[in-house]
Amino acid sequence: MEKFQVKFMPDQQVIEVEQGTSLLKAASQAGIFIKSSCGGKGTCGACKVTVISGEAKSERTGNLSPEQLSRGVRLSCHTFVEGDLTVEVPPESRLQAHQVLLEDANAALLTETSKDLLTYYGYHPLARKVNIRCSEPTLTDNAGDWTRLSIELKRVLQSDKPLTIPLSVLQTLPETLRQAHWDLSVILTDLESGYTVLHVEPANDRPCYGLAIDVGTTTVVVYLVDLDSGEIVDKQGSYNKQAQFGDDVISRIVYAVDSTENMAEIQKAVVDTVNVLIEGILERQSLTSQNIASAVIAGNTTMSQLFLGINPRYIRLEPYIPTVNSTPAVSAREIGLRLLPEALIHTYPSVASYVGGDIVSGALATDMANSDEIILFIDIGTNGEIVLGNKDWLVSCACSAGPCFEGGGILFGMRAMPGAIERVDIDPESLDVKLKVVGKIAPVGICGSGLVDCLAKLRKAGIIDRAGNFQLEHPSQSARIRATEDDKEFVLAWAHQAGGDKDIVISENDVKNLIRAKGAIYAGIRSLLQTVALEIDMIERIVIGGGFGNYLNVHDSVEIGLLPDLPQEKFEFIGNSSVKGARLALLSQKAWNEAADLARKMTYIELSIGTTFMDEFVSALFLPHTDLSLFPSVEGTF
Amino acid sequence: MAVALVKERYQSKVGEVVIGATAAEGGTRTSVVKVGGDSTLPFLHFEGKVENRAAIALEVTDVPPAWSDTVKGQYGDVINDPVAWAKKCVEEYNADMIYLKLIGANPEGENRSPEECAKVVKDVLAAVGVPLIVAGCEDPEKDNEVLAAVAEATSGENLLIGIAEQDNYKSITAAAMVHKHNLIARSPLDINICKQLNILISEMGLPLNRIVIDPMIGGLGYGIEYAYSIMERARLGSLANDKMLSMPMICTVGYEANRAKEANASAEEFPGWGDLNDRAILWEALTAAGLLQVGASILLMRNPAAVKLVQQNIADLMEMNA
Repeated sequence: MEKFQVKFMPDQQVIEVEQGTSLLKAASQAGIFIKSSCGGKGTCGACKVTVISGEAKSERTGNLSPEQLSRGVRLSCHTFVEGDLTVEVPPESRLQAHQVLLEDANAALLTETSKDLLTYYGYHPLARKVNIRCSEPTLTDNAGDWTRLSIELKRVLQSDKPLTIPLSVLQTLPETLRQAHWDLSVILTDLESGYTVLHVEPANDRPCYGLAIDVGTTTVVVYLVDLDSGEIVDKQGSYNKQAQFGDDVISRIVYAVDSTENMAEIQKAVVDTVNVLIEGILERQSLTSQNIASAVIAGNTTMSQLFLGINPRYIRLEPYIPTVNSTPAVSAREIGLRLLPEALIHTYPSVASYVGGDIVSGALATDMANSDEIILFIDIGTNGEIVLGNKDWLVSCACSAGPCFEGGGILFGMRAMPGAIERVDIDPESLDVKLKVVGKIAPVGICGSGLVDCLAKLRKAGIIDRAGNFQLEHPSQSARIRATEDDKEFVLAWAHQAGGDKDIVISENDVKNLIRAKGAIYAGIRSLLQTVALEIDMIERIVIGGGFGNYLNVHDSVEIGLLPDLPQEKFEFIGNSSVKGARLALLSQKAWNEAADLARKMTYIELSIGTTFMDEFVSALFLPHTDLSLFPSVEGTF
Repeated sequence: MAVALVKERYQSKVGEVVIGATAAEGGTRTSVVKVGGDSTLPFLHFEGKVENRAAIALEVTDVPPAWSDTVKGQYGDVINDPVAWAKKCVEEYNADMIYLKLIGANPEGENRSPEECAKVVKDVLAAVGVPLIVAGCEDPEKDNEVLAAVAEATSGENLLIGIAEQDNYKSITAAAMVHKHNLIARSPLDINICKQLNILISEMGLPLNRIVIDPMIGGLGYGIEYAYSIMERARLGSLANDKMLSMPMICTVGYEANRAKEANASAEEFPGWGDLNDRAILWEALTAAGLLQVGASILLMRNPAAVKLVQQNIADLMEMNA
């Protein structure tokens, strides 16, 4: 097979690939990550690139216009290398551009309540470091090195739990002991089942660290935790590099099961994502991977399986079966994570195909399984998982809200970062618009909270009806409402205000997407309530998790029918509950055991069975809802 | 042991809609039709009031329809003349109303102008004294023009016009509001969309007692059970005081029943199915009879022989059973 060079602009990155390689793949190999919402099926059009020169063959052109085609615009997923090429990757096609996670909650609109459960569960990290001094061997005391070490360890640990050492540590043990003159620091796991020596080094008082990792479909967050003090030393987050294979778990599963090569690639993408974050933290903290002794990972079921390289095929096929709910710990070496090679990676147990470890972790962080009150825990994210219950019972479901509120699938959607419109005011008569933009700079897009607000305001100003249809014949005759070739839209900011060459708009398609997303979440809540025959006002507390939760305005959300119409004081934000639960487990064996219990206790409700969810969903595809009596505080305002 | 009759107490009732207007009311009809108003489940006279008898409207089209010979044969030559056809429906078959379907407006067919369509409606109004139901050709854009013209030309007659749907309800609602007609609100076998459409229409200002629900039924053997349960939910909703479901319901029985193979295929072709004439009549009559049991208020029918059976069925059901 002939090989050709592909040069990516403006990065000037050159890579050699085989003839017939897709530009999407070539870019990925060159370290340039291109959006591919549909997972490379040629349907979403997110992966557009411009072929500047050279030979490429396009098998699909999607909905590219003749004008775009003549300029050399192509879908990178269905364009294949046929000769040396120069390709330009525009900013809007790049994964990084709009998706960098604003992890710090400083910009949050709402305060999040945090509850430290560590005191409750007791401090007992899954790995620790002990300093010991072994006696030197002599002719009369000729016990083996490991015997010598283990006797001393057992004495210091004062425990009868089994103590083991892996071969790889044994292999270098004799030299290490002697170089250290028998004065040692030993890093070991401390699990209910026993201790395992992970690493032996000359005695030192460097702290020992662990990682709490939230592997989200869209974003990945890593906390560096000091295992001695329990403090969070550093945080780092970024988009999940798997996004180049699809926006949602389904398209990623489809991609992954296509070939073993794809499976390896998609696993590597997430391991790389975490490794890059770890490296960033290590560099900032002047640490090496040898300092990290343990990691707890919380992710949805698909993310967990992809992380571990477990075939996810049957997760998406009826009757939706995951390979494993409770995964044994694996070593960092086995999956290529940059920790101590023998460090154990603990993956949070899942409940079912679409309620995974991130939700179990989140539920642990909410402490709902110890509560007398009935708590509703919602993760407002792509998968829209919901848990309802208290200390006696727990039911859960996933309502697949989609990435709307994280900016995905919305023309000008973006994360809450500088340039994102977060509040919108529309004069009902003139339709003049006032915007509040994060960072007080020229707007470049709209974030989730802006979208929620926008929806309410569009309705109030009569720009859309309750079903989300645009009213082109609005009495204001404002130029802001207009019809394009295949859609209708409202101009939020004119190009000159946006400091770009494009007007920032919200389209009828966007509006319908948002209505579907909010409808799915509300319908999920109602379906769970119906399952246990409770009414909405019997919910005593609503805990909202997920990155978006921090930016959410409760009043707006109730107004569009995203959240139940309950008193404001019942709502609470927990932020990234998944990573919080991961940290909790990392620092407390008891919490980790409880998590396994929690996963077993949670009843998964399959929403595709019966008519309940579909019925609730359609009735929620309205602003705020078909049954207006469910939203008494909103009824008169539209 | 004595048995106490269990009677359900309902909070509310179905709204009443009046179709047509007499000279005294500003129209030219000799009679009006009232539908709805029931305060109980269908025909349960013993626990509530069955206010109005279900009405039957016979379908007349402005250009000759492509119906089966078993139906067309019963009408003879009048099928080519909507005026004579409507007269026959009223005088010979005792139709409560005429359902005038303007298929001649279809841009793919005769493509008649809104003015021509309005003239047909006026002619039929002049020929018969019963109220009229007028629907377009199912081309949304054309129907918006045609029905606006019809509504204007027949101002004061208090017609029932259609069809308003979730994607296209504004023009026709406006026409009904301005010229004081009643409106058919059609939703695709979904109680939630039905309700949403009623909210959207009423928020434009059309009073609730001017809206009739078309739940988009399926004919016997072709989805009637969905229609049955949806209509039952709507009726239970109205009795439980859900105002946005409290409208009378109209059913396109003639259209749905007569497109079933069973209403068209001969006995030679399917010996097991028996005689076509009887079968076609019963297919339409049974579709109607089934839907009467869940609260159909207006039956849009085609086959005169089926109409006769259903008229008898309604008369029997209206007898007191308290």
